[in-house]
Amino acid sequence: MRATWIVYRKEVIEILRDRRTLLAIGLAALATPIVLGVISQVATRTATQAYTVGYSGDIPAGLGELLTATNLRLVPAADPATAAKQQVDLGVAFKSGEIDEYYDPSRQSAQIADVRLQTVLGEYNAAKAAAALQSKGVDPGILTPVRLVGHPLSSPVRAASNAFLSFFLPYILITMILTGGFSAALDSTAGERERRTLESLLLTPAPRSRILLGKIAAVTTISLIAAVAAIVSMFVALSRISLPGPSEASHISLNPIAIPLMVWVALLIALSFSSVTLALGTLAKTFRQGQAYVTPLYFITIFPASIVLFIPDFNPGLAYYLIPILNAVLVLRDAIVHDAVAWPALAVTSLSLLATGGLAWFAALRLFTREALLTRT
Amino acid sequence: MTEAAVSVERLEKTLGKKKVLRGISFQAQPGEIFGLLGPNGAGKTTTLRLIATLLVPDAGKVEVHGFDTRTAPEEVRRRVGVVTADIGIYPRLTARENIAYFAELSGLGGRLLKQRVETVIERLDIDSFASQRAESLSSGQKQKLAIARAIVHDPPLLMFDEPTSNLDVLASREVRELMVESKAGGKCVIFSTHVLHDAERLCDRITILHEGQVVASGPTAQVRGDRAELEDAFLSLVGAE
Repeated sequence: MRATWIVYRKEVIEILRDRRTLLAIGLAALATPIVLGVISQVATRTATQAYTVGYSGDIPAGLGELLTATNLRLVPAADPATAAKQQVDLGVAFKSGEIDEYYDPSRQSAQIADVRLQTVLGEYNAAKAAAALQSKGVDPGILTPVRLVGHPLSSPVRAASNAFLSFFLPYILITMILTGGFSAALDSTAGERERRTLESLLLTPAPRSRILLGKIAAVTTISLIAAVAAIVSMFVALSRISLPGPSEASHISLNPIAIPLMVWVALLIALSFSSVTLALGTLAKTFRQGQAYVTPLYFITIFPASIVLFIPDFNPGLAYYLIPILNAVLVLRDAIVHDAVAWPALAVTSLSLLATGGLAWFAALRLFTREALLTRT
Repeated sequence: MTEAAVSVERLEKTLGKKKVLRGISFQAQPGEIFGLLGPNGAGKTTTLRLIATLLVPDAGKVEVHGFDTRTAPEEVRRRVGVVTADIGIYPRLTARENIAYFAELSGLGGRLLKQRVETVIERLDIDSFASQRAESLSSGQKQKLAIARAIVHDPPLLMFDEPTSNLDVLASREVRELMVESKAGGKCVIFSTHVLHDAERLCDRITILHEGQVVASGPTAQVRGDRAELEDAFLSLVGAE
């Protein structure tokens, strides 16, 4: 294995001196905090923003104060229906015992203002009804003959943050592993051909399988460094950024079970991706051609992460855990959302990813040892 | 009789649809410069690649110092150094790191590794730029580095494939001097070129290839015959006269 170590050491030195790879790792570390910062800003602004309500008629006593307290600014309007089309977010006509509401559902601001109005009115009506009953000596409890008492089994804030992490973390992990190793893998295969160092390398007595193993190990290492940089920066950002939750603004944290699992899954994905990208890079004659071969991998890997985003309650059978990448996303989601590891699913996922890595390694070796590697120009 | 450094027997090779070699045979001995001549496309580079185990013969046999290229490729590669016109070096490694990398992959380690690297650096006057990254070197310095990489493991067989085609006069002379020095040191030097003037001056024996076949083989003077220059004999043999 000496040759593997020699190749590994040289590849890592070269990669770390390559601006392209360092830039990819740097961007991986910076991109997540920037994206999260923007999400946080937008969410906070939406939650605290004041919306304008154009009204006509007399405002019922006490209701105006409640509306103002929830950031609904009341402005008089001759025709609330017309005003609601452009000038204000919501139009309201106060009549005796009735309120006509006008809003455009295609506008997000109108939707938010509508929800706030409904909430405030609900509370106002309940308070008025309770006061009226009390003044006649009737227990206001008769308005709610059956009361619902909720007992959430986990913190709603935690559940919301877990839902966010269950999509975002696997997505970041997978794309950053691919991004980190992308340039390194192409440089050590197509780059070798382009620089005309490949022939000299293959002229050494080192067996080609050992050379390839050294390259895979180096690309895996760089992929993991990129992934770790991205994940660490994500958690640093999350610890400083508040995301509006169901109650107080909340910080997001990861449960302890997910951390070792994430490391294990990241290692398996990095090994598979390294072999796949090296195999594709071996097919390419130039770095640029290699980029064309590897880029579609991004699209392939985005789909599984999207499934969790669009179908949060997707609970497939064990067979689904045979599908590479999707299985990694699902295993991580399970650990993040349920705070537990589904061992059979993890076993199937590990076997699947190891088999994928093994097959890709075999393909890379076949490509790396064929004569056409040197004779094809 | 001493063991041949290289023994090629009825070698055949097809690349794609083209039959590049059609049963060529020759032997090269230690302590000689053996010229492999021929026009472009004659099969010279393919022959060298077969000797160096980069390609596998379709038929025939190649042995390097008694080791078969098919059954003992790693032993063969341990005994071969190849210098080509392509300067393939790692740009982000220093000159010294480039040399040491190939020395280590050739099996050198410890004190011997350091000693061989420094010997080659001194022999080829690389000292002044040994610590510079290869990407910052001039083309002449890069060529020296490519030669250093090929000879650092002190192989008994050196193959030069059109080594002077991209070099200036001074650098070409250095390569020729290295060939003569290696021969004097008992190594076998195979010199593939279409520069017949160089071949005539340096080679003890030559083989001329044309369309994948040997059209002449023997001591340089014998192949030249009564012609004034080797070039005349060559043109006659390849039918270009």
